[in-house]
Amino acid sequence: MFSRLRSLQTNMVLASVFLILMTILIMSFTSYYLTKDAVQSQAQSYTTELVKQVNNNIKSYVNGMKYMSDLVAANHSVQDYLSATSFKSLQDEKDHKEAISDLLESMLFSRTDIASANVFGYGGQFVSGRKELELNPFIDRSTLSWYKNAQEAGGKNVISPSHVQPVFKDRYPWVVSLSRELFSRDGTRKLGVFLVDLNFSVMNDMFKDIRLGQRGYLFIIDSGGKIVYHPQQQLIYSHLKSEMIDKVLEIESGTFVSDEGSDSRMYTVQDSDFGWKIVGVSYVSELVGNQNEVRLSYVVLGLICIVIAIVISFFLSQRVSQPIKRLQDYMKEVEKGNFDIHVPVPKAIEIGRLARAFNIMVGKIKELMSQVVHDQEQKRKSEINALQAQINPHFLYNTLDSIVWMAESNKSKDVVLMTSALAKLFRSSISKGEELVSIRTEIEHITNYLMIQKMRYKNKLDYRIEIDDSVRDYRTIKVILQPIVENAIYHGIKMKHGPGLIRITSEETESDIYIVIEDDGKGMDEEKLSTLLLPSPNPKEGRGVGVRNVHERLQLYFGTQYGLTYKSALGEGTTVYIRIPKSHRPTEDEK
Amino acid sequence: MIVWKHKWLSGAVALLLVVGCLVYWINGFSEKKALEVTVIIKTTDDSVEFWQVLIDGVHEAAKEFDANVQVWGSKTETDVDEQISLVEKAMRNRPDAIVLAANDFDRLVPISEKARKSGIKLIIVDSGINSDAAKSIVATDNVKAGREAGQAMHQELTGNAKVAIISYVKNAASHIDREKGVREVLGQYPNIELLDTYYVEGSEQNAYLKAKEILRKHTDVLGIIGLNEPTTVGAGRAIQELELKERVKLIGFDSSVNEIKLLEEGVMKATVIQRPFQMGYLSIKTAMEAVKGKKVSKFLDTGSLVITKQNMYDEENQKLLFPFVGK
Repeated sequence: MFSRLRSLQTNMVLASVFLILMTILIMSFTSYYLTKDAVQSQAQSYTTELVKQVNNNIKSYVNGMKYMSDLVAANHSVQDYLSATSFKSLQDEKDHKEAISDLLESMLFSRTDIASANVFGYGGQFVSGRKELELNPFIDRSTLSWYKNAQEAGGKNVISPSHVQPVFKDRYPWVVSLSRELFSRDGTRKLGVFLVDLNFSVMNDMFKDIRLGQRGYLFIIDSGGKIVYHPQQQLIYSHLKSEMIDKVLEIESGTFVSDEGSDSRMYTVQDSDFGWKIVGVSYVSELVGNQNEVRLSYVVLGLICIVIAIVISFFLSQRVSQPIKRLQDYMKEVEKGNFDIHVPVPKAIEIGRLARAFNIMVGKIKELMSQVVHDQEQKRKSEINALQAQINPHFLYNTLDSIVWMAESNKSKDVVLMTSALAKLFRSSISKGEELVSIRTEIEHITNYLMIQKMRYKNKLDYRIEIDDSVRDYRTIKVILQPIVENAIYHGIKMKHGPGLIRITSEETESDIYIVIEDDGKGMDEEKLSTLLLPSPNPKEGRGVGVRNVHERLQLYFGTQYGLTYKSALGEGTTVYIRIPKSHRPTEDEK
Repeated sequence: MIVWKHKWLSGAVALLLVVGCLVYWINGFSEKKALEVTVIIKTTDDSVEFWQVLIDGVHEAAKEFDANVQVWGSKTETDVDEQISLVEKAMRNRPDAIVLAANDFDRLVPISEKARKSGIKLIIVDSGINSDAAKSIVATDNVKAGREAGQAMHQELTGNAKVAIISYVKNAASHIDREKGVREVLGQYPNIELLDTYYVEGSEQNAYLKAKEILRKHTDVLGIIGLNEPTTVGAGRAIQELELKERVKLIGFDSSVNEIKLLEEGVMKATVIQRPFQMGYLSIKTAMEAVKGKKVSKFLDTGSLVITKQNMYDEENQKLLFPFVGK
């Protein structure tokens, strides 16, 4: 999968999957932590709100009790009753007691939340708002904390933690007590203690149903750190559980998180104005527990996104790579040698350009190929022509005829000379089948030829060969001089009265060599001169065929700037320049 | 080429789906499934505070440890057959754990062994069985509680004295252990004569009658130890009726409103109380740990406490003696 040879499509799919994966990961993490914070602060504000509400509810109960306490403390009949040392009669005492009892009873009317409201006189008096209540004979109330605390507070309201109230016979209710020491009207004498008990079940019912998350709860402590309410009070007393009460006492109101690892708890503390602290406790892991679902949904969502991304990127990349692949298939065809194809141009701009360029390229190649084929054919034809030119049957016939004639006239020396020249001529023209020969060889060849012609034409023909030694080693294609010389003899000198001279010389420039063939024969007019080197409409026409062939071969072999140049004027002879490049110099061993 | 591409694509998609399902499944498995625990107690009679408080502890723990708890129990503490059938019924439901308070020391052994063999974790609460089929026993160390009662009795007695022990039923492990603890302590004092143990066949009325009988028979300084709440209350009633609270020292076990009154009146000198809330709570906690494969200790002592008239209204003790707020 991770080898370097991967298709474009795989690369694109991998790249986009990676990109999307990273995006999803980063986004998931970011939003996960953002929602985590959001949930936490939401839980915090929710808890704070809840705790405040609970505080208000408790406050309303406590305020109700305080109100009662204020009424009783300021009540004259209560003060009178408790401060009286003696009464006129039993009936009088009973009347007093009745009045207080009625007062208390009226306060308790339709208040099921209040367990009892009672006045305890230091003289042993006891009046209750609930007339059915009797004192528990086995309990000494001066040992009970609400009683002692009231005495210590000196006339202020004292609120106890939740406790069992054992002071009444056959009853052990759980209550929260508000107690207050009562004073005489002038405030000098302590008369007794007022007690109002709030049924703790009222509060218990209120707190019991409060749930902060799955496991979170609410507890209350008083200013001394004693537990007023806790759903797991027993566990705390037996040290199976602990609350961070010290820390709760330290802070006025607010929130902190305990450091207990996965069991960390978030405490939300609210200070009530009567000394209690209401504390909401929620488990941090639970907040995060909800987070797990969020995280899970992120994971699932992410996976779905990746699947979609893969599918989309697959099809997308296929759209891109498919035309390329098609182009590749066409290229394979071309590789096999089939140039007769035309790639349909796809709509996509880039690929379209590529296809168009490909089509043009294939066309060019096709054209070049046919050009090469044509050139090769042309070359072959020229060579055959060259061969034909070499073995001109007329020339051979005439030469052999001359030899016969010489033999009959017993000019045996001339016969030997001519025959050997003919033999040399043929040998050098056949050569070794090589394409290129040295200029030296070419000169030998033309010397032999001219020698034969000279023997035939005697004084009518004269020739001079003046080739510099410096050019003799350069190479040229073979049989280029003979057709020109032949032309010069048959169409120049032969047509002229009197003897003619053929002169072969050489010229040299930096890069090229010119071999110049001059005759002082009949010459040509402009018209003939201009058509001489053009391809003839009738190639079989004798005249000029050899010359044209030389010109074409030179151009084919060396390039179009090379070849023949004619200069001529009627009656003044003709000059032919053969231009060949210097580039073909033989290597040492070829010499 | 194209075919290979499609294979590759569908392979990747399938892999992702599988991974997704796996993640979902693991998450779902670890979070959603609450463990099932069946608790079988001795009696569902809601006048017996002990078991009600224990159930409170059970529910508190169930909430905290996220367990699905069902609480069953025989109607009375003496109905062994019903309890055996309850255990069988519980096993058919295949809970992760069963918490059992055995009504009989011996007769619940076979079914308990069966439960263990079936792979259900068994936790014994309060009263044990004569077998080590249970993963853990969560109970008061009754021998220790008995010793505490014996010591409390010893403190009350001066000079020569006789001590009678009243036991509720004959074959309950907790009673056997408590008696053992009492005898262990009081046996060391030469001035104390330990009388035979009286059995009252699971009835308070019998205890009352038996106590009356004892009180009439032994007219010297006397100590009576009631091994549980009904025996103590029965004996207390007898002492009250015969007005013998000066001469007869009563030490009891457990707590109830009646016992509290006896304590306030001075008829009963002390009572050794257990911590049923802890028992319930810890039995579930232990069961959860056992199911999750954690190592749990074989015996968990939830502790006992001697309550006298002096400390009965202490903050920590109120909740134990008067467990039900608002009732």
